[in-house]
Amino acid sequence: MPAIRNRIRELRAAREFTQQELADKIGVTRQTVIAMEQDKYSPSLETAFKVAMVLGVSLEQCFQYQPRGKR
Amino acid sequence: MLTSLSYREKTLYASLAAEILVYGPYFFLHRQNSVNKVAGMIVAIIVLQIILQSIIAAVTRNRVTDERDRLIQLRGYRAGYLTLASLMVLGLGMLWFHTAAGHLQLTSQMVGLHFLSVFFGMLIIADITKTVAQIVAYRKAL
Repeated sequence: MPAIRNRIRELRAAREFTQQELADKIGVTRQTVIAMEQDKYSPSLETAFKVAMVLGVSLEQCFQYQPRGKR
Repeated sequence: MLTSLSYREKTLYASLAAEILVYGPYFFLHRQNSVNKVAGMIVAIIVLQIILQSIIAAVTRNRVTDERDRLIQLRGYRAGYLTLASLMVLGLGMLWFHTAAGHLQLTSQMVGLHFLSVFFGMLIIADITKTVAQIVAYRKAL
């Protein structure tokens, strides 16, 4: 399991954004949004801030860091 | 399936198809290699890549590439480099071994073509490895 988890899917659904709409707003491909939602790809700090900003939440509300072996 | 692929992924599949189509015969027609044939293959791969990439660019509306694409590209180059370096060490080691053991006696006329064939083959394998590594990274969603 990755050390960085996120709530992108849940927050995106709450705002009724499609994956493509969110991708366009943060300047990535739809495939990258899918990979982030599945916790298979941890975005750069810049993209993480953009995601949180577009979804209208703080970085901590969107992304959680759980050190490996501490869950 | 094609519509679910990103622009970069489509270009990778096109590259792989072009590489197999052009380089494939190289391994099967190895005995008839010549400098002209190698040069012809290089020209063919360049022309084919330009045609295929132009078609993909024309039919793909969203040509966005992002940080994940760049990361996957770097992984591909790393895989390609490691393959090339490994083949170089292996190839030079085998050359040294066979020459030292007397199995191989290279005449000056065949040294150039022999080395060209071997190193071109290594480059082809490394190039295909680079492309396949990127496709695998995309399929695994990284």
